Amino acid sequence: MKKKSRRATSSNAFLVAVSAVFLGLIGGAVLMALIGSNPFTGFYYLFRGGLMNIERVGNTLATATTLMLVGLSVAFAFKTGLFNIGASGQMLIGGLCATLVAHKVFLPRPLFLVVLIASALIGGALWGVIPGFLKARFNVHEVVATIMMNWIAYWSIYYFVPAYLKGPSLETESASIAVSQSLRAPWLTKLFNGSYINYGFFIAIAAVIIIRFILDKTTLGFGLKAVGSNRFCAEYAGIKVNRNVIISMMIAGSLAGLAGLSFYTGYSRNMQIGVLPAQGFDGIAVALLGASNPLGVLFSSLFFGVLQSGKGFMNAMTSVPPEIADSIIAVIIYFTATSVLFQRFWDRITRYRRSRHPEQSEEE
Amino acid sequence: MKKLIVALCILAVLTSAVFAGGTAEGAAKKSNLRVGMVTDAGTIDDKSFNQGTWEGILRASKDFALDVKYLKPAGTTEADYLKEIGNLVDAGYNMVICPGFKFETALFEAQDKYPNVKFVILDGEPHSADYSVFRIEKNVVGVYWAEHESGFLAGLAAALQFKNGNFGFIGGMEIPAVQKFNWGFQQGVKYANANHGANVVMKQENNLYQGTFDDIGAGQQIAASMYDRGVDVIFAAAGGVGVGVINEAKNRAAAGKKVWVIGVDVDQYSEGVMPNGKSIILTSAMKYLDRASYDMIENELNGRFPGGTVLHLDATNDGVGIPVENPNLDKSVTDEVARAYAMLKSGAIKVADTGDGLFK
Repeated sequence: MKKKSRRATSSNAFLVAVSAVFLGLIGGAVLMALIGSNPFTGFYYLFRGGLMNIERVGNTLATATTLMLVGLSVAFAFKTGLFNIGASGQMLIGGLCATLVAHKVFLPRPLFLVVLIASALIGGALWGVIPGFLKARFNVHEVVATIMMNWIAYWSIYYFVPAYLKGPSLETESASIAVSQSLRAPWLTKLFNGSYINYGFFIAIAAVIIIRFILDKTTLGFGLKAVGSNRFCAEYAGIKVNRNVIISMMIAGSLAGLAGLSFYTGYSRNMQIGVLPAQGFDGIAVALLGASNPLGVLFSSLFFGVLQSGKGFMNAMTSVPPEIADSIIAVIIYFTATSVLFQRFWDRITRYRRSRHPEQSEEE
Repeated sequence: MKKLIVALCILAVLTSAVFAGGTAEGAAKKSNLRVGMVTDAGTIDDKSFNQGTWEGILRASKDFALDVKYLKPAGTTEADYLKEIGNLVDAGYNMVICPGFKFETALFEAQDKYPNVKFVILDGEPHSADYSVFRIEKNVVGVYWAEHESGFLAGLAAALQFKNGNFGFIGGMEIPAVQKFNWGFQQGVKYANANHGANVVMKQENNLYQGTFDDIGAGQQIAASMYDRGVDVIFAAAGGVGVGVINEAKNRAAAGKKVWVIGVDVDQYSEGVMPNGKSIILTSAMKYLDRASYDMIENELNGRFPGGTVLHLDATNDGVGIPVENPNLDKSVTDEVARAYAMLKSGAIKVADTGDGLFK
C-alpha cells in the first residue's frame, strides 16, 4: 500500500515536469510566431542543433554536465529545506581550485585526476559550508549568505586570476589549460568528433547515483529529508538539525564545485574574470523541473542542454535573432519554474477522478 | 497511467509535427556567398567593434544581394566562439568574419576544421593558446590597423582646435591596439605643439589604463578625477569604460563646464549628444572596420580573397582617420588635419608605433 502511493506521487511529478516543458515550448512557439517566424522550423532547428550529429550530441552532453551538477546541488539543498542560490560562487571557487591544480600540480594522470577532482570538491564545499554554518549557528538566512558568497567569489577571482594565473597577453583570463592537464580526454574528443565532452560527464552521472543513494538509502539522507519536511518535528525526533544543515550545504557546495570543475577545466579550459556563471542560476530551474529528484535532475539537465546548445543553430538557420532565442529559452524556464501550478492542476484532476471512482481510491 | 499515455501521445504527435514541418527551409541556395559574423563581447549595437564590422557586412549584403547573419555567443571563451562558428558553417555560411583579437585561438583551430570556409579576423591573427605557434592558412585573413596613425590625427585635430589645454588619455586593457592609440595621440599633440604653435599640456598622471573594456562605472570615476585635475579633453580608447567617460563629460557639460571627449574605433559623435543637440565628442580616432569587412567580402566575390596573409591597414590605404564630418572642429582645423593625412600617405610624416620617449 505504501509502495503504491509513492508511485502515484512520482508519476505525478513526472506529469508536472512534462506539462511544464510542453507549455514552455508552446510559450516559446507563440513568441516565435509573434516575431513572424515559423515556430515549427524554429524548434526543428533548435533540436537539430543540439542533436544533429555526434559532435553536437557531445556538446549537448558537455553543456548538460555543468547543469546537471548545479541542478543536483540545488536539489540536494532543497531536500533539507535550504535554498542554495550560491551555486555560481561555489562553481567559481571550485573552478579556481581546480585551475590552480591544473596549472601547478604535475602528477601521473590517474592520480592527477583524483587531486583535480578533490580540489574542486573541497573548494566548493568550503564555499557551501560557510553559509551552512552561519545558518546553523546564527540563523542567517542562507539565501542572503549564499548571494553574498557569490560576490565574494566573484571579486576574489577578479584578484586571483590576473595575479597568479594570467595568460601570456590577456589580463582578464587565466592561461589556457593544456589538454593533458584538463578534464578532456583525447579518446572522448575523438569519439565525439572533436566535441567538448569531457570526464565531467561521468563525474556528473556518478554524482547522480551517489546522491540518489545518500538520499534514499542512508540514515544521513533520511535525517536530511526529515529536516527538510519539518525541522521542528525532526528536532523533536532527536535529529541534530544544525548538523544536518551544515552537512547539506557542504554537500551542495561540493556538487557545485564539481560543476565548476567540469566547466572551467573541461569545457572552457580557462577562467575569465568579471563573469558570474549563469549556470549557477539555470541550475535552479533544472532542479525545479527535475522535482529535486536526482534522476529528474539528470533528465531535465539533458533537456536544458539540448536547448542551450541548439540555440545557436536555430539562430543561424532561421530569422530568429539571438536575443529572441534567449527570451524563448527564458519562457521555457519560466514555465518550468512555475511547475507548482501544474502540480495543483494535476492534483485537482486526480482528486476529481477519485471522487468519481471512490472504490478505486479505497483500494489505494 | 492512462493520462500518462495520453500525455506521451500528445508529445509524440507534436514532436513529429515539429520535425516534419521543418524540412522545407533546409534546402538553401549554396552557390552564393553567405557571410556570417560572430560577435565579440558586448552587443551588436555597441557603437564599436561589433557594430562597425556588422555595418560593413550589411552594406555588402545590400550591394551584392548576399545572405548575411550574425550570432551572439553565450560567453567569450574559445569554446563559445568555436560553437557559433560551427553553427554558421553547419548552416551553410561559407565566410565568417570575427571582430576582435579574442578570436585568435578559436580561428587557429577553425581554420583546419573548416578548410572550405573563408575567415576574416579583425585586429588579430590565428595562433595557438600559449602563443607558441603562429600559423595562418590559405582560408584566413588577419587584419591589423595602424591605430597610432589614427590616434595621431585625432590628437593633432584636438590640439589645433584648442591651442592651449590639458589633455588626458584613458585606455581599456593595456594591449597593443590600445597602446598604439595612446602613443599616436601623444605624438599628434606634440606635433601640433612643435609645428603649429599649440601649447597643449599632457601629464603622466592623466594617462592611464583602466584594465577592462566593460567597467562603465570605473570609466566615469577616472574621468571625473581627471576633469577635476583640470583636464579639458580626454581621449578614451576603452570600449565600455569609454561609455562611462562620455557619461561623465555629458553630466559636466550639462552643468556648464567645458569638457570634451575624443571617441575611438567608430565615429562616436552620436554617443555624446546632449538634450540641447550638441555633442561632447570633439572627434573620433577611427579604424574603418566597416570598410575592412566590406572589402574582404568584395574581394572574395571577385576571387581575390587575400587568404593566408595578414593585412596592415593605415593611411596609405584609407584604413584609419578621423570622421568625415566633425561638427565640433573648425574648418581650418579639419583642413590642416587633411593636409597631415596627405603627408602621412606620402610618408612625409612618420608616426612611431612604439612608446619611446612617451608616457607608457
